[in-house]
Amino acid sequence: MSEQLKITCSGCSLLCDDIIIIKDDKEIKEILGACQKGINKFNQIKSKNRILSPLYKDKGGLKVLEWDLALNKAIQIIKNAKKPLIYGLSTISCESQILALKIAKKIDAFIDSNSTICQGKFLNIASEMGITTTTLTEIINKSDLIILWGTNIVESIPRLFSKILFSRGKFRMTGREIKNLIIVDIYKTASFKVMGTRDLAIIIRPNEDIELIKILKKAVKGDYTFPNEGISGIDKQDLERFKTFLLNSEHITILPGQALLNQKTNGDAIKELLELVNLLNNIKNNGRISLLMVGGHYNMVGFEHMALSETGKNQSIQFKNGESIKSDDNIISKIQKEDFDLSIIIGTDPISHFPLEISKILSSKPIILIDNKKSGTFLIATLILPTSITGIENKGLAFRLDHVPIQLKKIIEPPSLIQSDYELLQKILDRLNK
Amino acid sequence: MEMILNTIRLINNDQNVEWNCQDVEFMEEHLAIGFINPLDFKKLYLVPSLKLHISNNHGDVIVNFKQDSKIPEGIILMPVSLWANQVTYVKNNNIIYKNIKVNVEGTRDPPTKLNELIEKIKSDKI
Amino acid sequence: MAFSLELLKGNVKIEDCTPLLDDPKYQEKYLKLKDLLKSEEGKKKELKINIENELCDGCGICVTICPVNARYCYSILSGKAPDYPPDTHQLFMVKEGKCELLNIKYCRRLETEGKERECRVCETYCPREALKIEYI
Repeated sequence: MSEQLKITCSGCSLLCDDIIIIKDDKEIKEILGACQKGINKFNQIKSKNRILSPLYKDKGGLKVLEWDLALNKAIQIIKNAKKPLIYGLSTISCESQILALKIAKKIDAFIDSNSTICQGKFLNIASEMGITTTTLTEIINKSDLIILWGTNIVESIPRLFSKILFSRGKFRMTGREIKNLIIVDIYKTASFKVMGTRDLAIIIRPNEDIELIKILKKAVKGDYTFPNEGISGIDKQDLERFKTFLLNSEHITILPGQALLNQKTNGDAIKELLELVNLLNNIKNNGRISLLMVGGHYNMVGFEHMALSETGKNQSIQFKNGESIKSDDNIISKIQKEDFDLSIIIGTDPISHFPLEISKILSSKPIILIDNKKSGTFLIATLILPTSITGIENKGLAFRLDHVPIQLKKIIEPPSLIQSDYELLQKILDRLNK
Repeated sequence: MEMILNTIRLINNDQNVEWNCQDVEFMEEHLAIGFINPLDFKKLYLVPSLKLHISNNHGDVIVNFKQDSKIPEGIILMPVSLWANQVTYVKNNNIIYKNIKVNVEGTRDPPTKLNELIEKIKSDKI
Repeated sequence: MAFSLELLKGNVKIEDCTPLLDDPKYQEKYLKLKDLLKSEEGKKKELKINIENELCDGCGICVTICPVNARYCYSILSGKAPDYPPDTHQLFMVKEGKCELLNIKYCRRLETEGKERECRVCETYCPREALKIEYI
């Protein structure tokens, strides 16, 4: 018998909670409302690239192991290591993240999440200067100006526009007509296609975002005229409009992307942007201006919260003698310095994200991979422990990109002998405690 | 020719999707790719049968290319992937994914295969 | 404007515009128009909304922006996907990651509600240019 369910999609950090599925006892028949990215997540269930048994690499290649043997092997590898790394954690539930932190504490590991090379940089700087954040509901209901800065939403979080820009909201019933959009990018990405005549498209020369932020800071303070020739490839007229938008809109949300994190002077552009936000919030009598980070993985934000509550630090945590200690390292510096002898990778694929020089060092030491599908890291891992898919085959808590916790449901049964991240990590922790 | 390389995310060229359910050939077709402006296509004396050889101090890679008039001149875009990783690097403990100076030229050699990249990672030579 | 639209849809003929026939100074324009339309003149055209499956990524902008959808599916107002089964008036819905046209009967371009309107929002805002309004 088929039934209809409303579920939350774990395809990306937007965690759409309005997806409808029609399923019978065994499988999902239809998925309504999910975008291509979401559908891709559901396609993992029966993917030919799914890992369905523990694997161990020895001289003869990959060998299938029984679970008990595989877990013993994992414990043996972990116990032999003196300086283990735990990395990933952005695509597992918060409950599993806490267990990973407990394991890190037990084995004196260095633990870090994908956030370190992504939005975490923003939060690190924000922790010194303060940050005004917002929630999706607030953007939907109140926002009248949305600024995309170096991010291409249409490609990375497909449904975000239909939620925040095209929805009508409670206080701005006309929706799109009253919400303005500014996109700052180096070329006309697919996101520019949703722009209307009143919106402002800013094409900036690469690596010069910081100049624009600096000049906007001067402009909103007053008594400043933009140079006639414009700056960084932007016309004077567009700069004037940008300033007017910033000063006259009530509720502004800026969505900064990777482009801002990768400027020539690392971090300075973020600092300047945070200062611009603080400045505008001081000037404005009505409304406010806030930032919303758009990370990709569905529970990247979750790790920040879990780590913060467990250890007092949101990422890059070094444990020693069961306590978290001060450390300026991050996952990249740890690998670069070769300050590790084992890496435990959970639910991510560093080999496909890290530069060659880093991947080479990472692959020179044993790797335990905990994931549900093949990846670049799968091809070089020593021991592979498969898991079920959170949000489809097991439940768990995840944090949406605007830091709102959402419960993910279990929809169908996982393949036989495949356990959730939580169950697997619990078993590893139990065996370590024995 | 010297160009600026930016890695990007595209829904149809997403490594996560390819790893998910596609064959290696499909992945190579969708990830070993660079997007350039038609004017750069002319400047590089390219013809459709050629491939792009992208290199810098950190490594080199051969990829397919597509022309897109929206991309500014002098810029090459690549999806984040094992292929783009050959020229990305680390500075001040951060991975640099954007504004990477690279040298680009046409080549008759085939695009770099996935197993070649994995072998490169596994090999001891740095 | 309204006349030219009707002309393109095949609802009227060029001859229905009397100044064009009566005034000799428009003779040249009349012949030009006749030549442009050729055999297409007078053929009734039907409204079609073409969705190219290959291009669509299921972002749901068309579902949210469509004024008819918004009137009948309240959840759209707060940016959520419409309920299922769909309302009889609903034009678009996203199924298996692709947009699907449910029925065109209530589209604002048709006279269903007494007055047809020059509405093109779904086509205008589709970021993939997957959606096209055509008269065939």
